[in-house]
This record gives sequence, C-alpha cells and structure tokens, in this order.
Amino acid sequence: MNRIQFGEGACEKTRKYLDSYISNELLVETNHEVLRHLESCPSCAAEADARTQLRSRLKSAVNAEPAPPELQVLVRDKIRNTRSNSWFAATWIPWAAATAAAVVLSVGLWVNHRAGNLPALTDRSAQNTYIQKVSATIAGVFRLGLGDHLHCSIFRKYPKNPPAPEKMEADLGPNYKGLLPVVHRAVPEGYRVIMAHQCSYLGRPYVHLTFEKDGALLSLVVAHKKDGESLGGTSQSASPSGVPIYQVAAQSYQVAGFEAGEFLAYVVSDQHAATNLELASTLAPGVRAFLIKAAG
Amino acid sequence: MFFSSQRPRTDEFEAVAMPHMNDIYRAAARMLGDGTGAGDVVQDVYLQAWKSFNQFELGTNCRAWLFKILFHTLHHYRRKWLNLRMVKEGDEILEQTPAAGPPLPEHITDEALLAALAEIPQDFRAVVMLVDVEEFSYKEAAGILNVPIGTIMSRISRARRLLREKLADVAQSYGIGLTNQEGSKSA
Repeated sequence: MNRIQFGEGACEKTRKYLDSYISNELLVETNHEVLRHLESCPSCAAEADARTQLRSRLKSAVNAEPAPPELQVLVRDKIRNTRSNSWFAATWIPWAAATAAAVVLSVGLWVNHRAGNLPALTDRSAQNTYIQKVSATIAGVFRLGLGDHLHCSIFRKYPKNPPAPEKMEADLGPNYKGLLPVVHRAVPEGYRVIMAHQCSYLGRPYVHLTFEKDGALLSLVVAHKKDGESLGGTSQSASPSGVPIYQVAAQSYQVAGFEAGEFLAYVVSDQHAATNLELASTLAPGVRAFLIKAAG
Repeated sequence: MFFSSQRPRTDEFEAVAMPHMNDIYRAAARMLGDGTGAGDVVQDVYLQAWKSFNQFELGTNCRAWLFKILFHTLHHYRRKWLNLRMVKEGDEILEQTPAAGPPLPEHITDEALLAALAEIPQDFRAVVMLVDVEEFSYKEAAGILNVPIGTIMSRISRARRLLREKLADVAQSYGIGLTNQEGSKSA
C-alpha cells in the first residue's frame, strides 16, 4: 500500500479520489490525505458536500417507496406452488414407484396439511397453539375470522360427502336460513359448499360457511360485534359496491373483513391476496344486505 | 434420512432471504423506471433463489446473492420485453459527460430525484442503486454485475455527475436555487 501525498495539484487529485472517498473505498492513508485537503479547501469541500448530499437524498427517496404489502404473500404462494409441483414430484414420485401404497397415504396427509407444520388432527391443544401463533401478527378483530376458519375448516373432520342443502340450512338455524343461497349465488363457478353451520370457538358463537374448489378452502365467517369491535381503525383494501373491505395476511392465509350492521363478516382462504379480496368483494353486498335484514 | 438430504431448507430461506424483499423490490422498480412489473420481477427472483437455494452457503452474503439474481433476471427481462441496448447507450453518454458536475439544487423533491435517476442509462443506474442506495462495496457491486471493479469506479463517478446534470436541468426549468457558492446564478 503506497501512501498518496497530494502536494502540488491537490485539488485535481482530491477530486479524482472524491467518489471513492464518499463511497468509503479509499485506503486509510489516501483517505487521510483527502480529509486533510478538504479541511483547507472550501471549493473541494463544497464539491464533496454536494456529492454526499446527492447520495444521501437519493437513498432516502428510493427507500421512501415501500413494496406492496401483498408481495410477500404472492412470493410465498409462488414458492409453495413450485414446492408442491416440482420439488414434490422430483423427490417423492420416483420413490412412490417402489412404495406406491405408502406414498398414497403420505400424499393424502400432506394435502390435508398443506398449510405446513399443522398439528395432528386429534391434538386440540396443539391446534389452539397453532391458531394463536398464526394469528399473532394481525389485529384482534381479524383473529375472529381466521381463528374460526382454522378451527372448523382446516382442523374439523367434515364429511367427505357434504350433507344435503336442506340439512345445512337447518344447521344454520332459522335466523340464517336464507344465507346459504345468497352466498352460493355469489361465489364463482366451481366452488361447492361443504359445510354450513353455527359453531363456537373459544366461547364465541359464529355462523360459518365453507366452500371448496380443487382442494382450496374458502370460509365465510360471521360474528356478532362485541364491546365496540370495528374494522374501521384498520387500513381499507377495497370498496366495491360501497362496502368497505379490509384485508390482512397471516402467514399463508388471507382474511378480508367487512361490517354488516351488528355483524362482522370475514372471507378467509389461503389463496392469493388479490383472489381473496375479489371473492370478498363479490360476496360482501349480498351478505351484508342479508345480515342487516336478519338483524332488523 | 431420505428427506434430510434433499428437502429444501424452508425455514432457512425464510430467515435469510425473505427479509431482503423490500430492497429487491425497490431496486427492481428503479431499474424498470417505475413500479410497473417490479412485483413480477421480484416473484421471479425469489422463485429462482428458492430453486437454487441448495447451492447457497449459509453464512455468506444472501443479500448480495439475491441482487445478483435480480440483475440476471432484469437482464433477461429487458431482452425479452423491452429490447434495450444497455451498454451502447451508456457508452454514448459517457463521451458526452463533462469533467465536473453542477451543484445540487436546493429544495429538490423525491419525485425529481427519482425522475433524474430514471433518465440515466441502465448500467449507470445499476451501479448507483448498488453503491449509493444499497451501500454495497465496489467489490460486492462488481461481483453482482459481473464486471471489473474499475468499471464500477468509473460508472459511479459518471453516474453521480449525470444525476446532478439532470437535477440541475430540473432546477433551472423550475427556477429552483442551487446550493454552494454557485447558488446565486440561479433564478
């Protein structure tokens, strides 16, 4: 390492090193010489200051722009889909050729636990811990919908063949008997209702409808408001048909909530953020009108 | 044993790669000129990173590794969709770059700064993003862009000067004052 001594032509030499000085890329000795010159030369000091300011302002301007909040969910979805398609096929399927029966069983278990690290179906305590852990990052008013979705749609052993619509309507009770047709008309083609009932999770009653399409589950969860609960304090995501919808992500799940008079309603799934929001937007007007009428 | 040798390291990927997503997104947005398409590029970057994560050595610089994938992805993205001629564009402007930069305008907005950044050639913008915004060392930036360190040094110098010229043009057009002793020249 040669020590640089500026001496004659110091301004020219300083400016030659100025960008590396600002980037903190100079050797200690050269850095010292630049500093010494800047202390005694207002012109070079002003030039250094201008370049440093530009760097600082530029960094600040670029960093002021956040990534879209749904991007993390989209990335995780993309990776998860790849994992289930390519990695899964590359590692499990060859092995399955030799042990087909065992693999069929394993695939079934894996599909049922697609959200990853799910506790055993019979371990209720571990399920509650899992629900609390997944819900930890979202506001309490959103945990209601997510908790009941996980409790009933993910962990509950609903029958392979759904009950008849009449049975499900009866399970909803007289106050919510007409809700099922309203929701069924609004959900996109391909979804089939597999569960509709009144249930209770952590001592709170809910009305819960679950739909399925190609193995993906979608819940509509309805709860009475308590103690001034409101979604209004959270960030609004959409407002189609005049119904404000608020959506948050919790790990791989999307929870879109909207208010309907005395009720809080949630659309919950593990689909893309945009898809879940679109589903909620489609369901909200009809469901809201039904619930307000039912309460009246 | 069957799983442990081949299962992708999901938890490790989550811990070392996912925290850098904002940085990757912002760099993609600025390299594309605005946010349009940046989300798609970020998804492609992370998917590529995930697929090759078994080759990533824990303890090495994951952020630099992700940026290397980002610029590789952007290179193909531009060739496929935008058909940009990066190097020639930069070289042409290199010849026109004066030896000294104008002073930095006062009261310049973030929007004006980002607009000026969008106007400089892609190669220079890449170096500014890596060195000035992301604060990578010259050596790291050279590794990410796969160019010699000397190229990084010359590009950062010229990129900063170009930025100041663009900003000076903006300042002049809006009658904004300039900093330092030359400020009195402006309207």
